[in-house]
Amino acid sequence: MKKNYYLEKLYNSKKPFVVYKVTGGYDLFTDFSEKIHINKKNILNFFSKFNKNKNKNKLLDLYIGFFGYEILCDLNNIKIPKQKSTNFPKGIFYKPETKIEIRKNIIIKSSYKNYNQLFGKKVCNPNKILSPFKINIDINKYNKIFNQFSKKIKEGKTYQIKICTKYKNKSLIDPVTFFWKLMKTNAAPESFMIRDKNFSIVSCSPETLIEKKGPKIITKPIAGTLRKTQKTNIRKALFYFKNNIKETKEHNMIVDMERSDLSKVCKPGTVKLSKVKYVEEYKHFYHYVTKIEGKVKKNIKVKDIIIAMMPGGSVIGCPKISTLNLLNFQEKESRNIFTGSFGFIKFNGDMRFNIIIRSILNYKNISEISVASGVVIDSTAKNEFNENYIKAKSLIDLYK
Amino acid sequence: MIYIIDHKDSFTHNIVHQLSKFDKDVECEDFNKVNYKKLNKADVIVFSPGPGSPKDYPISSKIYKKYKGKKKIIGICLGFQQILFNESGQIIKQDKIYHGFQSSINVISKKSLFAKYKTFKVGRYHSLKLKEPFYAKNFEVTMRCNISKVAMAIENKVEKIYGFQFHPESFLTENGNLLIKKILSA
Repeated sequence: MKKNYYLEKLYNSKKPFVVYKVTGGYDLFTDFSEKIHINKKNILNFFSKFNKNKNKNKLLDLYIGFFGYEILCDLNNIKIPKQKSTNFPKGIFYKPETKIEIRKNIIIKSSYKNYNQLFGKKVCNPNKILSPFKINIDINKYNKIFNQFSKKIKEGKTYQIKICTKYKNKSLIDPVTFFWKLMKTNAAPESFMIRDKNFSIVSCSPETLIEKKGPKIITKPIAGTLRKTQKTNIRKALFYFKNNIKETKEHNMIVDMERSDLSKVCKPGTVKLSKVKYVEEYKHFYHYVTKIEGKVKKNIKVKDIIIAMMPGGSVIGCPKISTLNLLNFQEKESRNIFTGSFGFIKFNGDMRFNIIIRSILNYKNISEISVASGVVIDSTAKNEFNENYIKAKSLIDLYK
Repeated sequence: MIYIIDHKDSFTHNIVHQLSKFDKDVECEDFNKVNYKKLNKADVIVFSPGPGSPKDYPISSKIYKKYKGKKKIIGICLGFQQILFNESGQIIKQDKIYHGFQSSINVISKKSLFAKYKTFKVGRYHSLKLKEPFYAKNFEVTMRCNISKVAMAIENKVEKIYGFQFHPESFLTENGNLLIKKILSA
């Protein structure tokens, strides 16, 4: 990437900013004129910002940020028993005043005339690892949870459920170096980073949860993961997924669930599978993906779409509500951002959101990486536990 | 009007859309938030799929008993089991579980709305099944899984009660619209 004076200065400052992957490059947002901490009390108020029927669509008419897992449960009236928590915000959205389009060329657009003087002091953001990574659930504990959930599947209480494990260490990280290092090898389509004063997030999420432009809305659930080896290629991966009954069933279930979630907000008859069961290739994996789209009903508001679609089903399990209840009852530690959603909402109601997976959250000098894999009737505890580790590995390797 | 009682399932809105093809007025509410005024006006009541087993949903059982014979009733997956449960059928665990599975099923009865021996490919999401033999007045098992022989549909033409153990709204079900259309016009 070309050196850019503005970006260099930005990176070497304390100024908060957000980067989001787009086709052909990245969008960077900064100079936040507003920062909203989302909670149970103000979330409806936040949504009402987008309900005004103004058809404005200026470049910077948007809020960008994330909903954590807990606030999404709150929205669906799903209780979470008391958990170990770091009191990380439930959600944050920023109103940017400057946007930098990082493509072959770099284009800066700002509502501030003096945008290139707003950096503050020059600082050095060091990387320091203060303790090694530890996992919160070992294989024995994992086995126990796995067996409990398998029983629930046999009773029909859930058809598929994802067990979440978390790796943590003590560290100071410079999210800028981490993010660009990660993007060199794993520029997943929903990658993003946030650097703020007291936390940072670095993510190579592959999964698009919502892409809405005008009435058209798209979701692209991923269900099915194959580890890359020297012998695999995209054709072989497709053959593997198509002939693997467990992966096929897991995928089918998620497709029907996401169709149903979209149907809540779409006009009857408009929800279609526009690309069925194809393979996307990533650094370490092949993923099995289906693209579903529909046309949003009139009178549907931003809030309705968020509640219908979040938390994204493919990382929770199915059916969503009863599975969320089972998960929350079992999990002793807050998920924070994991399986929440990052993205933006434009003032005109258009939006784009991902599912927050494959992410590092660094808060109060603790880095956490959460991963999850699915229990369905044919899973084995050992395979799923190992899948979790592989998913975390590419992020853990950044610390080397 | 069709009134769908949702057992908080993640497939219910596929059913809403499917039924909307045949009736402009489809209402859907959670089983614990039923609007009885609307329910009373409905021509057809649909019991949705959902987690757990019929005994977990006493409200739905009550509704079934109240409207049996008075309105057309359709049950899907858990809804199918809900009907059977209220007709003294036993719902038990299966040895082999089908979630997201496409199966071939056969029409096995002459009395069915569908031609005998006709085969359908359908999507299945169920841990539990009907214990057989099962007898209830006017009810007949009309479709079975080709391989496991598990009951896949029941029909009661006298009181207009129909149920599918599989999911006609699933993208795995071929001719799902035809199945629903025939039952709605029966």
